[in-house]
Amino acid sequence: MELSGEEKKLQALFSELKAVDEQTTPHFGATWNRAQSLPRRVRRFNPAFVAAMMLLVFGVVAFAVWSRYSHPTSAPQPDVAKATQSPAMTTTGEVRSAPIETQEPKPKNPAIVHRNKATSQRNAMLAAANRKLQKDAKSIANWTSPTSALLESPSDEIFSSLPEFNQSTTQLKSFLPSRSN
Amino acid sequence: MDIAELKSELEKLHSASFGWALSCCRRDHAEAEEVLQTVYLKILEGKALYRGESSLKTWLFAVIRKTAIGEYRKKLVRSLVFLGSSEKHEDGVSSADGPTKIFEKSELQKQFRVALARLPARQREALHLVFYEDLSLSEAANVMGISVGSARQHYDRGKKHLREWLSHTETENGIVWRRKETPSAV
Repeated sequence: MELSGEEKKLQALFSELKAVDEQTTPHFGATWNRAQSLPRRVRRFNPAFVAAMMLLVFGVVAFAVWSRYSHPTSAPQPDVAKATQSPAMTTTGEVRSAPIETQEPKPKNPAIVHRNKATSQRNAMLAAANRKLQKDAKSIANWTSPTSALLESPSDEIFSSLPEFNQSTTQLKSFLPSRSN
Repeated sequence: MDIAELKSELEKLHSASFGWALSCCRRDHAEAEEVLQTVYLKILEGKALYRGESSLKTWLFAVIRKTAIGEYRKKLVRSLVFLGSSEKHEDGVSSADGPTKIFEKSELQKQFRVALARLPARQREALHLVFYEDLSLSEAANVMGISVGSARQHYDRGKKHLREWLSHTETENGIVWRRKETPSAV
């Protein structure tokens, strides 16, 4: 590094400063030994970390409390849940509609009243839909194919019954094939 | 590098380390000693680990700088907490008795010290590392944890400030030195 005139002066000043510092530099051995003799620091709680954690916990608790009280307890939902279930069909073809409970809690505030009204409207709609479904299910159970008559034959009886061991031969004749000779 | 080897290397660098610690501690002798002691403790405890990614001197200076900054912050917090206490934080040149007395033999040196203390920390650090410790700008940048470009800027600005101070001092002293305007030598 090539130095100009003023830089040389600065260098000289710094050199002088260095020389003074060197005179006052503590002995390495003393500093090293002091550092060695110092008790090793045990990691303690960091106050900043503890404060941050406390703030975090407080924030989470505050949010939980706020979210709990900002949304008041809603009207009983199971009614709706039950009402939304599809009607179950029994083996006999009957359709059982889901029971709809119309019992409602007494309204406490306008929000709850509004919610209850909406729930009852929804229940009414679901009941109407269920009735329609029942009707449809019944009609499907009674339905017969228009070509089913063509599939019927006089020998249907044979296929629908089986001979028994104690049956007489005369009765079994109908099952045995006729011999020509 | 084992601890015995590291110790001998640190011993070689001890004087330069102390000078750097002094610069980082605003020429506070006691604080610089404490910082250096803390640095050695960090090395002993393995908190400061030399991985050979840079030269030992650069690494050690970076550790000293960080430690000094940490100690300064702690001191600042303590002084804020105990605001009413008798302890006063002096800005600029501190009152280190022994070295000061020696230093005040030269009026110019005294003024230089004051001018250096008035410089922004980054500029002072860059100048110190280049002029005092004979480091290159890239090494100085490494120690300061900044880019070479930033280090060069701090160096140039610091040099400009010191030049102004120097010309002002010389005019006051009645000495007229011919000023050479040369581009940055680095």
